[in-house]
Amino acid sequence: MNSRPETLLEQDTPRTPAPGVGWEEFSRELVEFFASIKLAMFLFLFIAITATIGTVIQQGERPESYIQEYGEEAYRWFLRLGFTDVYHTWWFTSLLGLLCVNSLTCFYKRFPAVWRSMKQDKVSVSLGFIKGMKQQAEVTVPGTKESIAQQLAQHYVAKGYRVLAKNEGAEVTLYATKGVMGRVGAHMAHLSATVIVLGGLLGSYYGFQEFGVCLEGQTYHIPRGNFDLKVEKFWIDYHENGAVKSYNSTLTVLDGGESKMTKTITVNDPLVYKGIWFYQSSYGDAWDQIEVARLNIKDKETDKVIKTIDLEWQKEQTLADLNLRLAMTDFVADFAFNSTEKKVYSKTIEHANPAIKLTVNERSTVQATPWIFYQFPDLFEIKDSKYQFELIGYKPKKYTGLQIAKNPGINIVWIGSTMIVVGITLSSFIYHRRLWTKIIPSADGVTVYVGGTTHKSQIDFQKEFRKLTQTIRSFQA
Amino acid sequence: MARSLFLFDMTFWLYLASLTLYIAYLFARRPAMALAPAGHPVEDFEERDGAWATQLGQVATLVTVFGWMVNTAALLTRAFERLEHSGTFAPWSNQFEAMAYVSWAIILGYVLLELRYKIKAIGAFVVGIGFIAMGAASLLPYRYQTAEPLVPALNSYWIYIHVSVTLTSYAAFAMAGGLGLMYLFKERAEQRGSRSRFYAAFPDLATIDELGYKAIMIGFPMLAFGIILGAMWANYAWGGYWSWDPKETWSLIVWLIYGAYIHARMTRGWEGRRAAIYAVFGFLMVIFCFWGVNFLLSGLHAYA
Repeated sequence: MNSRPETLLEQDTPRTPAPGVGWEEFSRELVEFFASIKLAMFLFLFIAITATIGTVIQQGERPESYIQEYGEEAYRWFLRLGFTDVYHTWWFTSLLGLLCVNSLTCFYKRFPAVWRSMKQDKVSVSLGFIKGMKQQAEVTVPGTKESIAQQLAQHYVAKGYRVLAKNEGAEVTLYATKGVMGRVGAHMAHLSATVIVLGGLLGSYYGFQEFGVCLEGQTYHIPRGNFDLKVEKFWIDYHENGAVKSYNSTLTVLDGGESKMTKTITVNDPLVYKGIWFYQSSYGDAWDQIEVARLNIKDKETDKVIKTIDLEWQKEQTLADLNLRLAMTDFVADFAFNSTEKKVYSKTIEHANPAIKLTVNERSTVQATPWIFYQFPDLFEIKDSKYQFELIGYKPKKYTGLQIAKNPGINIVWIGSTMIVVGITLSSFIYHRRLWTKIIPSADGVTVYVGGTTHKSQIDFQKEFRKLTQTIRSFQA
Repeated sequence: MARSLFLFDMTFWLYLASLTLYIAYLFARRPAMALAPAGHPVEDFEERDGAWATQLGQVATLVTVFGWMVNTAALLTRAFERLEHSGTFAPWSNQFEAMAYVSWAIILGYVLLELRYKIKAIGAFVVGIGFIAMGAASLLPYRYQTAEPLVPALNSYWIYIHVSVTLTSYAAFAMAGGLGLMYLFKERAEQRGSRSRFYAAFPDLATIDELGYKAIMIGFPMLAFGIILGAMWANYAWGGYWSWDPKETWSLIVWLIYGAYIHARMTRGWEGRRAAIYAVFGFLMVIFCFWGVNFLLSGLHAYA
């Protein structure tokens, strides 16, 4: 982030020529390459470009949907390149890894200099060094070098600079610096990339994310946490205009047979127990049970409705006047029959073809267990029975969809996030300024040579520098 | 609802007026710089002309500040309407409100910039973008403009901070885009050796360049903060802080694009023209992230 001031300083100390291509040379080149801004820019842009792939091609779909949309040949290429799950391919992960290597190497190479300039700075510079700076001025004022140096140092301190001075017989050298935190911030941001990636890795290796469909009143075992979760209730709140206000599930944690906590979770308010988070994620109608079914009981001969009853789930109801005992023992949302196993099951979770299984006990002589279809009332008929049963409606049982997740890396991710935000903010708003001044006695008093550098905000610095030279001109003996 | 919509409407017209005034100001202004080499003798003519421009500039600033105040009032009124409606007040809860907020932030940014640097010529571009944002908002169908209650996923205190921070970063990038455009216009005029006083009224290239860089330096950390606040929210609402949802991914893409810019700025040659083109390109990516993703790509973040 700060190549310019660095190179300026390096001009002072001539480098010894490289002795052929040795390991030293090679490792220096390697550090140079991995710490380079060019590599950083390349990675930023390349990650940006490849990241678009996953926003254009739907991720994690079933093969059929890709083949339908893009064709078989394209799908084969997608598989080869990992385009159906771009963000978890080896090459995308390597790019992120390379970004970490890049920022770490940059830290390794450049931070020591920043650290040194925080601790100790180079005060003695040559006059040529000051004159060679982008911002430099030469002002002659009356006075002694000590008095001018003192005034100038006071001015710098008043402006928030840290000042170091050296009085070397013939001349006074002042060094003033401010805003090194801006550069520390940049390096903090560089480190944060690795911290975030490490947190992410930790989460993906030691964490999990699952989805659970839970019915009211049921208790579920959470093997990963070794405790039980009871779903007490699920309901939806509405606004006045009928729009959904919130989805709510009341959950109770049972640990070792004891009720530990009860909480009503909503979409933005999960329950956390032993590091496991339970989120309100979705809801729907259960496909294998209902709460209440409404039945019409018809007389077969007259085809007239004798009675309408509400039958509760798996509760026998006795109708003494009709000499009937009825119970609803099963339900499927989308009726299907497996002929090899001779079993009824629900084809999908949609309520496409709902049916209930009725257990009929009539005058203690006729016994039957017919499936009654909501959409096809006349499909089955019970022989010897006086009655025909029609399913005219039912109240579905709601399930609540819970997202269950544990992420042990999350706090590390938040630490990295804080570092990146604080780091970038510091480096954006604070800029490192360094001013070197030499005060040399001359014929009419002293000549003040002042030069300064900054690694950004050149215009502001230019303005500040202009003001500084005016101030120096105003100094009195 | 009618009250805030009326105020939003008024904001639109005021911004249009202020944009027109800034453009008129550019035409009216006769900088000494352009005339000096010509050595034109009619000095009092020049003075009169200059006075004209000064007044126009003052009126433009006044209208802009007034427009911004009406914009503020519109957002506040909308906040109260929301509070009555659904108990949350964030006046950036749908695409329309978000656009109105972005233009509010752009104009605020511009007014501060004008106060600090006293350069009115920038108004023609930056107020222009603020006006376009407001105009795009008012082109949305009526059903997008009203304050419907929030869906459960949005009904959270995170909306106050995540959305406002992210939108403010968009506004900063919009300003940088406007300045980049201005730079390119000015540079082209200079290359052609144009004597047009329109271009001569622009601040010098280095200033435009530096101001554009500053805008990005404000937007960049803000976007980082906005993305992280979004991740924190996602951790509360979706069951994971990062799920590579198109909106998340695109905001990261935009951030990476500006990240590359900021690093490029450190090496030589990435000032001026290149940086200006890049700032315009970055702003186009911001527009895609803000609008394109919502309307073209599907995902968890389907709302604004």
